[in-house]
Amino acid sequence: MSRVRTGTGRAGKPVSLARVWTGDVGSYASGLVWSPDGKQVAVSGIEGPVTVFDAASGERRHELSGHGSGTTALSWSPDGRLLASAGQDGKVRLWSMTGTGGSQELNGGSAWVEKAAWSPDGRYLVSAAGRRLRLWKPDGTLLWESRDQQSTITDVQWRPDSSRELATTAYGGLTLWKPGSPEPARRFEWKGSSLVAAWSPNGKFIATGDQDSTVHFWISKTGHDLQMYGYPTKVRELSWNTTSRYLATGGGPAVTVWDCSGKGPAGSQPLAFEAHEDAVNDLAFGLRGPRLLSGGEDGLVAVWEPGGRSGAVALQALDTGVARLAWAPGDKRIAVGGSDGTVTVFEAP
Amino acid sequence: MDTATDNRVPVTVLTGFLGAGKTTLLNRVLTENHGKRIAVIENEFGEVGVDQDLVIGADEEVFEMNNGCICCTVRGDLIRILGSLMKRRDKFDYILLETTGMADPGPVAQTFFMDDEMQQKLELDAIVTVVDAGHVDQHIDDSDEVREQIAFADVLLLNKVDLVDEEKLAGLEGRIRNMNAAAKIYRTKDAAVEMESILGVGGFDLDRALDLDPKFMEPEYPFEWSGVYDLQPGTYELVVGEGPDPSMGVVLLPVAGDSSEALEAVRENAVLAFSGEERVLAAGDGLPAGGRLNRLELGTEERRFPVPVEESGLYALFTEHCPEEFGAGLRGAAGEVPPVRAVEYKPDHEHDEEVTSVGITVPGDLDPDRLNAWLGDLLANKGPDIFRMKGILSIRGEEERFVFQGVHMLFDGRPDRPWGEEERSNTLIFIGRNLDRDELNEGFRGCLA
Repeated sequence: MSRVRTGTGRAGKPVSLARVWTGDVGSYASGLVWSPDGKQVAVSGIEGPVTVFDAASGERRHELSGHGSGTTALSWSPDGRLLASAGQDGKVRLWSMTGTGGSQELNGGSAWVEKAAWSPDGRYLVSAAGRRLRLWKPDGTLLWESRDQQSTITDVQWRPDSSRELATTAYGGLTLWKPGSPEPARRFEWKGSSLVAAWSPNGKFIATGDQDSTVHFWISKTGHDLQMYGYPTKVRELSWNTTSRYLATGGGPAVTVWDCSGKGPAGSQPLAFEAHEDAVNDLAFGLRGPRLLSGGEDGLVAVWEPGGRSGAVALQALDTGVARLAWAPGDKRIAVGGSDGTVTVFEAP
Repeated sequence: MDTATDNRVPVTVLTGFLGAGKTTLLNRVLTENHGKRIAVIENEFGEVGVDQDLVIGADEEVFEMNNGCICCTVRGDLIRILGSLMKRRDKFDYILLETTGMADPGPVAQTFFMDDEMQQKLELDAIVTVVDAGHVDQHIDDSDEVREQIAFADVLLLNKVDLVDEEKLAGLEGRIRNMNAAAKIYRTKDAAVEMESILGVGGFDLDRALDLDPKFMEPEYPFEWSGVYDLQPGTYELVVGEGPDPSMGVVLLPVAGDSSEALEAVRENAVLAFSGEERVLAAGDGLPAGGRLNRLELGTEERRFPVPVEESGLYALFTEHCPEEFGAGLRGAAGEVPPVRAVEYKPDHEHDEEVTSVGITVPGDLDPDRLNAWLGDLLANKGPDIFRMKGILSIRGEEERFVFQGVHMLFDGRPDRPWGEEERSNTLIFIGRNLDRDELNEGFRGCLA
């Protein structure tokens, strides 16, 4: 894979980011999510506890015990009422974010729950633990369970435009599910280990990041795939922009962006954005605009504009490696979780 | 493989058949006062549980790497667990990874070299294999996994020695040594061993690539036996009966004493003689002392070869095969003359092992192009059968020693310190399955400049 070193359009000097507040969750930020109304930020530490911060002041609103042996993922329900957490204790927990507080504990079905994610309409929560999926109602009722897969499920993603379809990654490729049937709807087989999946907002592509330093584009209708080689390391960072034109990928220090417009990314040269000196750990396209956020092991947070500026719009160095980052709803603020557990909220540039 | 990263957390992999004593060893490590904070990853439920240490369960999941070679398999469960563990790394400073009794150590070891994150943050220190002295003989015969666990080991604990007699132990140790000539072997009871023998071993460390005890690097000798005889002037007879071969090479050399050192001193001359020209002896032909290979023609009946002795003294007889296979012996006027010292060079004749070690020691410089071509070809074709390799090479035109180590097809090497005054030579060892000793030796010698 050769990369185009410059984008198109104007260059300009990157600005730094204005800090709003800084907090701390005590250990590596394993999960970071904004509440749907943008008023709170929940951050989990790899050692367990989950802290919910007031997005404006940084005040600690809730200190949740999380999962004693480590929290792996967070997901906030679209109606804002429930925060779901997944942990290495084999549990999923639903934390009430309304006045009453309280929580409910669900069994993931294996010793380690990798992921929990609300459906786009908020009616279901899916959890992935070991080789199986479980589907829950917000009241904690178990609705469905998949048959055990041949290999541990590494990621589960809802189709963005549907609350009826799921994609999971594992060793062996990509699997599509229609919850209700214990068997998969379709399998897109590939002899390798896929680590993460990202469904394009229009549902056309499912991208996977893979253990052997590749990215796959699966066309969800046909099951055909394109394989992109040349990443220096395994790829665990993927983000689509809202129009489904750009897929941003990590897999090393460069941020590599594929253009899926026109004939698609096949045979094309991706855009490369280079500022990080160490591996990129997280990527996020804005929820509205064209801007792309990247955070690296080197502690750098960068804001890019694929298709616009060739250089960074903003660069901000932190004292810790960046573990997780996310745009606030409305793209006005950015939350960054550090590998030392610090949490910082910045104004968007 | 890049081993230059600092600050990596060492990992010891503990393997061994069910019941060999892994859990006993694990508990010993955890309760010993060594000042280390240890995280334990368990693949088997044992009775481990020490409050201050972190114990995590794992499910064995072997992944093939799609664009890697066929033997580039890794353990997906370990990548996931260790990746998560490393995010909380300030809480511990050593990792012990216990595999199941049936685990193949290959993918476990390869995980530390094939995954960037593992390679950056962790350092595979050593593979420690525990074997049950009472049962390992049978396990070696029955189980691929046990053979591999022995072959991969940097450290072998021959455990439960209290339940086995010395003779059996010596035989076992010989058998295991024959399979893996590079490992350190400790005889233990209740897996009691010094912590420094199993933690911080540096088994994959290039700086210690050849911390090999030279006696374990003995080449394959062209003879299987030698005996020292105290002889007086006169004529003796070497009497040889029917055996598995129609002929046998023998060399008789004067030797300065009956110590093992004295015997070692003439051994090299015997090796030279065996590679030199031979003289064929029919029954009745004389077999004089001297640096010459004599090939005895044998038959179904007993044949006698006169041995003229001019000066009294000690003589070492080197024989291609063990004399007992041919009912052979030296006779004097007063009858059978027993050797004052006898050494077998193939200590274990009962087992024709599938897994063996091949050590190569060759003085001189290597041609880098030939070496690359040979090694590339070897790893491409025999990689799946080569479990471990390590060595020090002398490359023509390079002032520094070149050190390397590898697992299957993964090769890790770099220049080390200058040779200086030291004589330039090559020492290497391969541990693997169905290795062809002659072919490896010949191939390697073909790389000499």
